Amino acid sequence: MNVNTETSGNSLVIALDGRVDSSNAAEFNTALENATADSDLGVVLDCENLQYISSAGLRVILTTAKSLQSSQRKFVICTLSNPIQDIFVISGFDQIINIQGSRAEALATMEA
Amino acid sequence: MEEEQRPNKILVVDDEPDLQPLVLQRMRRGIRRGRYQFLFAGNGVEALELLRAVGDIDMVVSDINMPQMDGLTLLEQIPSVDPNIRAIIVSAYGDMANIRTAMNRGAFDFITKPIDFTDLQVTIDRTLEHLAEWRSVLKARDQLVSVQNELSIATQIQQSVLPTQLPQGAGFHLHASMEAARSVGGDFYDTIPLEDGRVGLAIADVSDKGVPAALFMMASYTLLRAAAGIPDAGRTMQEVNDVLTETNVAGMFVTMFYAVFDPVSGSLTYANGGHNPPVLLHEDGTTEQLPLTGGVALGVMSGLDYNVKSIDLAPGDTVFLYTDGIPEAINGDDEEFGMERLCTTLTAARDRNAHDLTDCVLTDLQAFVGDTPQFDDITCLTLRFTGTVP
Repeated sequence: MNVNTETSGNSLVIALDGRVDSSNAAEFNTALENATADSDLGVVLDCENLQYISSAGLRVILTTAKSLQSSQRKFVICTLSNPIQDIFVISGFDQIINIQGSRAEALATMEA
Repeated sequence: MEEEQRPNKILVVDDEPDLQPLVLQRMRRGIRRGRYQFLFAGNGVEALELLRAVGDIDMVVSDINMPQMDGLTLLEQIPSVDPNIRAIIVSAYGDMANIRTAMNRGAFDFITKPIDFTDLQVTIDRTLEHLAEWRSVLKARDQLVSVQNELSIATQIQQSVLPTQLPQGAGFHLHASMEAARSVGGDFYDTIPLEDGRVGLAIADVSDKGVPAALFMMASYTLLRAAAGIPDAGRTMQEVNDVLTETNVAGMFVTMFYAVFDPVSGSLTYANGGHNPPVLLHEDGTTEQLPLTGGVALGVMSGLDYNVKSIDLAPGDTVFLYTDGIPEAINGDDEEFGMERLCTTLTAARDRNAHDLTDCVLTDLQAFVGDTPQFDDITCLTLRFTGTVP
């Protein structure tokens, strides 16, 4: 699991790659907290290179979404592979988290 | 790390009476500071008696040649009093044969005669330091064992709340199985007898594992039992979700499929809160997954509606409810068992009753997985609708 953060326009773009499961969910949580702290920008989580995410990882994404929401910051996930898209659809989280097809589309929603 | 207040008790064993005042004199600073307390014995027999009588002696410093019982024999006997006592042997300079024997019999270290008291003190301190570390390791191990015991009790409690006697009746057959992974997990199933002979069927999976997941599972399980009295599966889920979300501080969630089954008509009305869609197996062996109902996993957000869908089972139909521990079980090559294999197994077992069909799935899964350790709970609940004979 690896997290890379860059600023693009008025957004923080966090690129996530590798696998997130119970063994590294806590580490993933810390990485997201560190990446989003000291900023009031909206956040795009780019999952293009995410290979697998377990429910423990989904929990981290939900917690992040909630905490950003409570400080009025936007949160968008983008570029999900089909199996990962399925996980979001089955769990119903696609209804409470903004999911976009590509990073460009995600950034476009941040402008609005 | 050593928090002990009491002085370290050191038993000096030597048949030379002059040694006693010498030790007390040379070690007086450590004795005064409360670091050492010395005891003395004149031979191995006396030493063993003292070790037994005092009970908490930390280490022994022993000469080799003594009447009645020599130091090498004493070394062999010490573990029978307490295997955690450490011993230093005092030998003649260059007496490698005896030193070798002493070390082989478990002496921690040795010093040579004539005794250099600075060296003796360094050796004693080193031994005590080792003892302190050794004890903290033992303590940590004991704590770990006790935590593991508590966890295994937690797993037992979890398993024991799940129903083993499932509702039975004319026209249907139910069977359930749960194989918990080694760590306490958060899967559960339930079968709840409702009014008019209907049966509530549930399967659920809490995010993550461990003690928090187990507690969340118990809360979800209890809430579902309480809310199952509501005649509508969607409103049952809504109720469970609202209460769970209200009390959820850890940000956990549970995916849950809940259905109300009517054995008279064969209708199955269900709401799916983020759970893997159950497989519907027809009598002809074809399979399909029950369409999602757009429900979100429970515990995430309150005030959500849970829509229901309804299907009419035909006699011979089987509904297979499962958690992701089945399709996501991996073999030695990191391949997942997957939905395709699951459906193939179900098709092959289409003529079996609920019990045998469940066994077929678990057997095929086991054959696929081989020796690869199980990471997730493996839980399933099978409903076979036979229909009432008119």
